[in-house]
Order: sequence, then structure tokens, then C-alpha cells
Amino acid sequence: MVEALLFWFLALVTLFGAVAMLLVPNPIYAAMSLVVSMIGISGLFAFLGADFIAGVQVIVYAGAVLVLFVMVLMLFDLKSETQAFSKGLLSRIFKVASVGFLLGGLIGVMVLEFSWILPVFMQSSPQWTMTGVKKMAQLLFTEYMFIFQILGVLLLVVAVGAVALARSRGGTHERA
Amino acid sequence: MGADFLEVSLNALKLIFFFLMMVQMVPLLVWLERRGAGFIQDRLGPNRVGPFGLTQLLADAVKFLMKEEFIPQKAVKFLFYGAPIFALIPASLALCAIPFGPKFEIPAFSFWGRHWGPYEFILQGYEVGVGIVFILAAASLAVYSILMAGWGSGNKYSLLGAIRASSQIISYELALGLTIVAVVLIYGTFSLNEMVTLQRGPLSFEFFGKMVTIDFLPNWGIFYQPIGAFLFLAASFAESNRLPFDLPEGEAELVAGFHTEYGGFKMNLFFIGEYGHMIVASALLITFYFGGYELPFLTSQELLAIYQEAFGVGLTSSLLNALTHFAVFMFKIFIVLWIFIHVRWTLPRFRYDQLMELGWKTMLPWALGNLLLTALIYVASKTY
Repeated sequence: MVEALLFWFLALVTLFGAVAMLLVPNPIYAAMSLVVSMIGISGLFAFLGADFIAGVQVIVYAGAVLVLFVMVLMLFDLKSETQAFSKGLLSRIFKVASVGFLLGGLIGVMVLEFSWILPVFMQSSPQWTMTGVKKMAQLLFTEYMFIFQILGVLLLVVAVGAVALARSRGGTHERA
Repeated sequence: MGADFLEVSLNALKLIFFFLMMVQMVPLLVWLERRGAGFIQDRLGPNRVGPFGLTQLLADAVKFLMKEEFIPQKAVKFLFYGAPIFALIPASLALCAIPFGPKFEIPAFSFWGRHWGPYEFILQGYEVGVGIVFILAAASLAVYSILMAGWGSGNKYSLLGAIRASSQIISYELALGLTIVAVVLIYGTFSLNEMVTLQRGPLSFEFFGKMVTIDFLPNWGIFYQPIGAFLFLAASFAESNRLPFDLPEGEAELVAGFHTEYGGFKMNLFFIGEYGHMIVASALLITFYFGGYELPFLTSQELLAIYQEAFGVGLTSSLLNALTHFAVFMFKIFIVLWIFIHVRWTLPRFRYDQLMELGWKTMLPWALGNLLLTALIYVASKTY
């Protein structure tokens, strides 16, 4: 009974944040709604017994990534960007296409049950105490080492790209 | 939560107690800060109201409550009112997860025609298995209250102060996180209770297959992590926006930073949040590096045995044991808080570029180096 209430509360918070992020026109409030959604997701992780992942979810997404989003949105004048991304046929096609792609993927996973994507995590639900964290680290640094490294390289590429953009004269506004 | 009515209500009372303790420590600390400033600057400080001026802050609190309520014209109402309230949440969440003393037991007794089973309570708001991760997660949300205040005030100084504060907190969180990783590496656990237990007794460790015991030193984390302890202290100054890192409210440039537009009790709530962060930071420093609530040369079990000899086995000795360790922990916290205060009135404020350079080019490499060194020594002493 209590668990069901907790689950529905967390799910509603998560969904409320996500929907608010899509519907709010002001980008700062959109980012803050995303924070609410992230905290809800972390609550869902904790609810499943994955305390460590719940904590890391809050630290990384709510505590660092989205703080940067909010900070940058507050700092810059985003008028030309909002126009570029909100009007025009091209961006509308892009938006509809990306929503369709994501929705299709989601429905695909739900319908076809791609259980082979998540072989380890679907089989058992280990308690993520210290042994669980150790187990996760061992899996991460042995079996999934390649994926882990690829993700690291991906983040490096993003960082280098950001520095390159920031160093070019005029920054992102150069082409305008 | 608890098995029956008594346990549940006592646990709830404990939570309220820890929250009120944080809030009630603030006037004391403000008094200490002002008297300390007076002491350092060779003047008296507030000494008129009550003994030693101790009730000065009571008068201040009444003044805060009576002040006029106002809201700037360009403010965003929801954010403006939400920010001070949100400022209290992360600090109190984090404080409740810190152990303030050992377990105490209430033996079984019968009352009101009913048997109440034996209970075991910890001197801690709630026990979280992944203690540090929880505390870091709660503390990392503190930035939002500052950002909300900065944006909600509709004032460019507030906004600039908020952006400065958030970039500073994010930058120093890196160094802080890396020192904590080294701590976790040494203790091999995320639980703060286990860390305190591991720091009992005299300094003894296994070094290249030999057991080394040094009797005149306690088994505290600072002897394993001297660089880490210093980096942690410095980074926690920046995390709680204290001098020499109080750039967010540099009054010469930004009036008062993110709380320029706040007055009265709303301003007071920000104050409580800031002092709450200081208390959490010093409690963590003590738990990681200075033995937590344990006395240096007398473990909590030995003290419990002494009390049991004097008062017999039962509630009295167990409760006395818990309260003694609580007092020890508070004493240690006040020493660290005094360092916070002393540094504030000793060092001048950094310039903004110096602050960022210190964070990214000095503290981050040192923290990384400390982590690497710790890992290398750990592996080497285990394998050879």
C-alpha cells in the first residue's frame, strides 16, 4: 500500500517535470522542470533499491549538468537561438522527426521486449549495497570496459568541441 | 521507521531534534562569529544584551520577524518566495544522515499493561547505506536555491552573484568529490558509521605485510590522508560560500550578491542555510579525518563498560555513553567551526580569476594526485 503510493507519487513527479519541461516557453523554467523530473527518476531508483545509482543520478544530473544548463541560460541572451530553433519549416520537420523517432523507439522496446539489450540487469535485481557497488564496478571495468572507454572518448569529443567553439571568434554567433 | 508506536514516534522526534539543533546552533554561531571578530580585531563585539551578549541574537530574531514584508517589482513571485525555503532543505537533509553518536539501547519494559520490546536507537536522523553519496547528492542541490534567488529577484547584481556562486560551487565540488573518493578508497565503505568504527583505537595499519602500530596516535583518517584533509577543508570553505571564497556576495562589486533583495526573515533563512552547510561540512570533516564521535584513546565500547560498572547494565549507562559521545562530536564540530570563523577574519577575499585558477589549476590537480598516490600505495602495500 505504502509502496504503491510512493511509486505513483514519484512517477507523477517525474512525468509532471517532463511535461512541464516541454510546455513551459521560458527555457530557464524548462531546465528547472527537468531538474524536478531528474529528482523523481532518482527517487524511482532508490525505490528499486539502487541507492548508489539514485545518489549518482542526483549528483551528476541535478547537481552538475543541469546547474550548468540553468547557469548558461541565465548568462546568455538567447533571443536569436530561440528564433532559430522555434520557427521555420526545417526546424519543425526536425522536431517532428525526432519526436517520432524517440516515440517509435519507446514503443518498439515496449512491444518487442528487447530483453537481450539488458541481459545482466534484467535477470536479477541485486541489492546495491557496498557489495552491489563493487559488483557494478567489476562489471564496468571488465566486461563492459570497451563501452565505458567509448563513453569516455565521447565526453572528451564533446569537451574539445565546446572549447573549439568557445575559442573561435564570435563563438556560436559567428555565422549569424 | 520502527516496529511499534513508541519506536516510530521516537524516531520522528529524533528527526525534529536534529533539524532544530541545526537551526538553534545558528544564533550561537552568529554570536561566536561576532564576538570572535571583535576578539581578532581588538574590540568587544556585542556584549550588552544578556550575559556576554548571548541574547543579542534573540533580539535580532524578533527584529527580523517584525520587519516590513516587501517584494521587488520585477521579481518572479514563486522563485522569490521559494528560494529561502529551499535553502534550508539540502543542509537539513544532509545533517540528518550524519552519525552523532553510538547506538543506545532501551531494554524491554512493561508499561500500561503492555510489554514494550527492547529498542535500539542510533544518534542519527536516519541511516543511509550509501551515506556519503546521499549527503553529496543532497548538498549538490543547494545551488538551486541560490540560482532561484538570483533569477527571482529581477536584479542584475543578484543574478551575477547567483551565477558566480553556482560556478564556484560546481568548480570546487570536483576537488571535494575527488578527496572523498580517496577517503572511500581507504575505508572501503560508503557508510559513515562504519568509517567511525574503523577509526577506533591506536594508529595501526598493514604496511608491506607488516603490522605497524603507533600507540601514541589515534587511528584517525588524517594520518592516512593529510593532503586530502587539507583539500577537503579548503573546498568546503568554497562550498559554503565563506571567506576567502565569498565572491557571490562581494559587497564592493555586487552589493550583496544573490540576497540583495531579501530582507527580514527571508534573509535569515539564507543565513540558516549557509550556517547549516558549515555545520555539515565540519561534521563530515570530523567523520572522515578526525575519528567522528569517538574519543581519541577510549573506544565507545570501553567507555560503555566503565559506565556499566558504575551504573549497572541498562538504560542509564547506554544513554550516558551516547550523550558523552554526542558531546565529544559537538566539541570537535565547534573547533572546526572556530577555524571557519578565524579564517574569515584573517584572510582577504580572492579575486574572481584567482578563485577559478585556484579551483581548476591547483586544487583539482592536487586532489587527482592525492587520489592516484593513495591508490598506488594501497595497491602496493596489499600486493607486496
